[in-house]
Amino acid sequence: MIHYVRLWLASMRYSVVRSMMFRADFIMWSMVELFWMGVNVAAIAVIYQHTDSIAGWSQYEMLLLVGTSMLIQRLLMGIFWSNLFEMGRNIRTGSFDFFLAQPGRLLFMVSTRKLDLDGLANVVVAAAIVVFSARKLELQPSLTDISLYLLFIGCGLFISYAILLLLASVSFWTIGTKGVEGGYFTLYEFSRLPKQAFSGVANVIFVWILPTVVVSNVPSRALISGFVVSDTVWLIGTTLAWLALAIFVFNRGLRRYSSASS
Amino acid sequence: MRLLLAKYRHVFNVGLQNNLVYRWNFAMRAIFSLVHLAFVFILWGAAYQGETHIGGFSLEQTLTYFISLLVLQFFIGAFSEDYEISEEIRSGLINQFLTKPINYFVYRFTIFVSARLVSGLLALVPLMLCLPLIADYLTFPGETWRLVVGLPAAFMSAMIQFTIAYIFGLLTFWFLEIQSFVILSMTIESLLGGQIFPLDLLPPTIYRISQFLPYYYQMYFPAAIFTGRIDYNSAVQGLWIQLFWVFALLVMAQLLWRRGLRQHTAVGG
Repeated sequence: MIHYVRLWLASMRYSVVRSMMFRADFIMWSMVELFWMGVNVAAIAVIYQHTDSIAGWSQYEMLLLVGTSMLIQRLLMGIFWSNLFEMGRNIRTGSFDFFLAQPGRLLFMVSTRKLDLDGLANVVVAAAIVVFSARKLELQPSLTDISLYLLFIGCGLFISYAILLLLASVSFWTIGTKGVEGGYFTLYEFSRLPKQAFSGVANVIFVWILPTVVVSNVPSRALISGFVVSDTVWLIGTTLAWLALAIFVFNRGLRRYSSASS
Repeated sequence: MRLLLAKYRHVFNVGLQNNLVYRWNFAMRAIFSLVHLAFVFILWGAAYQGETHIGGFSLEQTLTYFISLLVLQFFIGAFSEDYEISEEIRSGLINQFLTKPINYFVYRFTIFVSARLVSGLLALVPLMLCLPLIADYLTFPGETWRLVVGLPAAFMSAMIQFTIAYIFGLLTFWFLEIQSFVILSMTIESLLGGQIFPLDLLPPTIYRISQFLPYYYQMYFPAAIFTGRIDYNSAVQGLWIQLFWVFALLVMAQLLWRRGLRQHTAVGG
């Protein structure tokens, strides 16, 4: 365990040094993420100029939901995104060999090689949006509520990680994986919607089959109206199930990996 | 003149063939767009609960607006032109155009037109398949002037979209990497171009300001004409501002091209 913490710290140090080398890049990418969050916040502000509720959620409840969804996404971007995104490319080019020879479990080494500091910088902004909405809603969460919220955010992060790993693992079977990015962003969009907005087939797909809605709705609801046992079980169960599936598919794919000639 | 047309006709044909190769990419993109449309339907469906009109428009009108945006995007949107131009500059492929009697802007624009023809027509296929699901929501105003004004507006939108992408591509003369610029501008474009919400829902003053910016004419303007969100007078007035932006951007592109070439070093090898 300590071994892995040290490995992770080493990649962290490496990432910080790298970011400091490309400062302008860091600032530009932080701006990009900040602007995207601004767009989402603006969208809510504009829609609520014309209506009082979206599926029973008030403006600041909705903002809290969007903030939560962004918080998870920024964490994913900061910690795992480029690692998994590059995995697909490395499998194609054969550079994946490099990871096979590293001193640790393969999946760990693949997933934690770099951190994107610009993504992490915006975690603070997303968190500020959540805190701001909570203030506006006059919520007074206890320490337990906050710890649970953080635990749920962690679950959300790992669910997103699992989905991304699944999408990236497709590279073991196919040559082109251009759709990975688009696929993730298109699906993740639904996490900015309240569960109550879904009905019929959409409800089955996005609420029950795919984990897109549970990821953001459970933590937000917990903060707004308190802890619910069934929601907690649902979220933790979903996390474990998707992680297991992703790891299974990754290992299956790994068996097919046969490097590439130069 | 005939010779000139013949030259770019060949470029157009090659562009068509090249883009047909990427039909699966376009199909994939169209599918993502349809999933995004599902998001739009759910969001706006929920926002309209308990309201018959938002900003003076019914749910059907708003959904028609978003469906039109989707179709327009595949016909007039710039996809990856900025990156392609950037790549041609970086890799030195651009050098071959400098010694030939070919205008690089016209060359790229011709390829853009052929590419959008392919992607536009291909995107119609999945949309037609979904038609039974969305037909009930489609409601277009029947006035013919909308077509007469809307089509040139759509063409000029395509020119604005392309020229902006071209300008971003040219930034490669000065910067190594343009991706962050492109995505940053994409964010602004998606907001002020009306892709997140119809711009007329903005507070009146901000809406008025947005009408003087080029983003308004990238996507919202033709879509709003077709779907009845703006009236005749604002449409005609808008056409003039749009024309101004087309020229302003063309001038800027030309300026950057000249300046950029001075920076550019063609390396042999």
